[in-house]
Amino acid sequence: MTTASTIVQLKRALRLDGVALAAALALAICVAPALAVLGLSLRPIEGVDFGAALLRDGAMGTALLMLAGGAGAIICGAGAAWLVSLCAFPGRGPLAWLLVLPLAAPSYILAFSYTSLTWAGGLIPYRVEGFWGAAFIYTIGLYPYVYLAARAAFVSQSSCAIEAARMLGAKPADVFWRVALPLARPAIAAGGALACMEIAADYGAAQHFGLTTLSTAIFRAWYAHGSTDAALQIAAVLLLAAIAFLLAERWARGNASYAGGSTRWRPLPRYQLAPIAGWLATTFCVALIVLGALLPLAWLGRLALLHSNVEDIAAPFVNSIVLAGAGALVTLALAAAIAVAARRAGAIGKAALAGASMGYAAPGAVIAMGALAIFAMAREAGWVGGLSTGLALVALLWTYAARFASAGVQPIDAGLARLSKGLDASARTLGAGPWRRFLRVDLPIAAPSLAAAALILFVEILKELPATLILRPFNFDTLAVKANAYASDERLLEAALPSLLIFVAGLLPILLLTRGIAAARAGSR
Amino acid sequence: MSTVILSNVRRLYGATTALDDVSLTAPEARVLALLGPSGSGKSTIMRLIAGLEPLDAGEVRIGDDLVSKPGHTTPAETRRIGMVFQDYALFPHLNAGANVAFGLDKLGRAERDARALAWLDRVGLKHRAHAFPHELSGGEQQRVALARALAPAPRAVLLDEPFSGLDPVLRAELRDATLATLAEARTTTLFVTHDAEDALQVADRLAILKAGRVLQEAPPREAYDNPASLDAAAALGPINRFDGRVENGAVATPFGPVAAPHLTHGAEASVGVRAEAIALRRGATARVRDVRPHGAHDLVRIEAQGIVWRALVPARMTLGETVDVEIAPTGAFAFAR
Repeated sequence: MTTASTIVQLKRALRLDGVALAAALALAICVAPALAVLGLSLRPIEGVDFGAALLRDGAMGTALLMLAGGAGAIICGAGAAWLVSLCAFPGRGPLAWLLVLPLAAPSYILAFSYTSLTWAGGLIPYRVEGFWGAAFIYTIGLYPYVYLAARAAFVSQSSCAIEAARMLGAKPADVFWRVALPLARPAIAAGGALACMEIAADYGAAQHFGLTTLSTAIFRAWYAHGSTDAALQIAAVLLLAAIAFLLAERWARGNASYAGGSTRWRPLPRYQLAPIAGWLATTFCVALIVLGALLPLAWLGRLALLHSNVEDIAAPFVNSIVLAGAGALVTLALAAAIAVAARRAGAIGKAALAGASMGYAAPGAVIAMGALAIFAMAREAGWVGGLSTGLALVALLWTYAARFASAGVQPIDAGLARLSKGLDASARTLGAGPWRRFLRVDLPIAAPSLAAAALILFVEILKELPATLILRPFNFDTLAVKANAYASDERLLEAALPSLLIFVAGLLPILLLTRGIAAARAGSR
Repeated sequence: MSTVILSNVRRLYGATTALDDVSLTAPEARVLALLGPSGSGKSTIMRLIAGLEPLDAGEVRIGDDLVSKPGHTTPAETRRIGMVFQDYALFPHLNAGANVAFGLDKLGRAERDARALAWLDRVGLKHRAHAFPHELSGGEQQRVALARALAPAPRAVLLDEPFSGLDPVLRAELRDATLATLAEARTTTLFVTHDAEDALQVADRLAILKAGRVLQEAPPREAYDNPASLDAAAALGPINRFDGRVENGAVATPFGPVAAPHLTHGAEASVGVRAEAIALRRGATARVRDVRPHGAHDLVRIEAQGIVWRALVPARMTLGETVDVEIAPTGAFAFAR
């Protein structure tokens, strides 16, 4: 084989063209902050004696919260998933999709509303505070991650396996413990790992309850002790923990496929629960929805009506919309490049996909510290000046892109999946050139998915707190920043309106996605 | 309408050879069927003709146009070749009328819509012009796909297993309707199938493929009566095989002699006998081991000297009965081994 043809083959294998280059750029943007954190954390720290203790306390706090909050999320999520997928009880249909509602609110918003709900003047006489308060917030806020994964696993379980178990004489409880649960275990583990990643990444709720976790320790090292090096070191540990959970989730999800023994699909045979058991099941699901979404939402709404500080919130509102809009567009472009490259199954696409997942696993505070470090290095090298407003916004958009590109890839990939090779080929045989194919076929078919991806990214960025806190320009408030500032001043009444706006925004993609799933089922357009 | 000619075409996918020295001619305004099992290279031939893939050796001509040679592939969008895909590949976001009109974009709006509607009418779906693909039945989707492929007046049309997703009754009906439409349009047609019955009934010419090579290219009747090899014979219906030696211009099988006048005395030969070329009557040569109804006929397994053959016979046989076997010379072939 000649050198020339080897080069041609190499180029073909790597597919070095616009898409590949864009994906390579996306990969660099996604992993650079994380790599900066890991690299800089290896430097020896001089003259800092609090770092080790802070790191130890933070790691202990994060681990215990993961244990308590993660266990709660798994029990509630898997239990609810089993009930709605394999049992029949009053209200099962609407409850099945209402159970995802708690995903709308970030943990810190739930924490704020529960504090005002349970403290002086609140509705509930029991205080939600401290470690167990945070564990409660994580349980009711994050159980949907487990619920969604477990429900998908239960629903896709071959009805044959369950029917076979019943015909072999297994009672409902036996079927659950001996067939359904073992088959769904990998999916439940994957959902639990996601919940733990969220717990590790949370800053607002832990800070609100005065807990020392790795996330809050980063802030304490940086703000209170003024040590960037210590903050970077803690961030590195948090990043490694997050990556470990990401790998655990991938591994568990990879194992989840053993459920599909039979490809034949039939509506699952559901157990008709006896009246009392049925109403207990209904109560359990309703309680989760009320505690995780409806109660805090209603309470925030009431407080916001009592104290509508609209003029204080106007500027942060505009800032949030502009920042989230710009961030969503940048991230969407990155995610599209990654998704298209990943569809080709080349090396660059795979790497970009992995890099984006790492960015998604990394908590916002970690990515922000990384971006900060990169800009500091660029300043030392004389490439850029100080972190001016403009530069800070660039750093913030970069952080959002690195953190959320992965969240955009999945919906875009779903859109690309509808573009079969056959469609492209048939458009070509009908005489359509590349532009016409893009405009008349690819774009209209993928447009709904792109819009969904944009909405998801917009809301994710709107909800983001720690990275925004670290990188925002001076006096540049967003809704999340403002809510957090009020809450940490114990001005919960004033925190209600920005919290409510974030909550309501969070509901949008959830409503869209549940509707989208229903529409896709019906095979309609 | 144009003749499509492949000459000595080779196509590699990495280390595997998908097509090896394939030469074919699809005569103008006729139907050439490509028959072969999956993996035989039929779909690759389609994609080469459509211009969806480059070739590694040889050439493809459409009429006087050299459209594919190594290093040069006229892109699909400028070839004017129509194609009906196996899954139809209708655009899910366009209705039936807009799907058919897609390839007519060089015309004005009014003429385009009229042409699209006229083609939908020709396949009997004028009333479904506003339906979206997911609202159409499988058969309707296939007809829209055919109308869409034919509407731009292509130089040839390629049908990739167009009936494989349909139930048997609809399949026969649609096959006849498609043939009528194609004949009316006088379109050069390449038709890919793995179904021998489809191929025999539809084709003016037949190319039998296996593992990336053409085993035989001939009119259907000739391919059936004078197969070029045992594999070619087997592609058009079940055959019984026997290996033996030529003695006095024939190979003696346990069921009777098969003539082999073209082979030298003493040569090793492989014999193939079509199941439908065997007639049975009461006698003593073979024993009936199994009888299965097969429409008007029975599929009978007969055994002699430890060898089992299948016969498709109209006579009703009973299990365990002994029979004499008569082999019709038109369905029995001997090849040098």
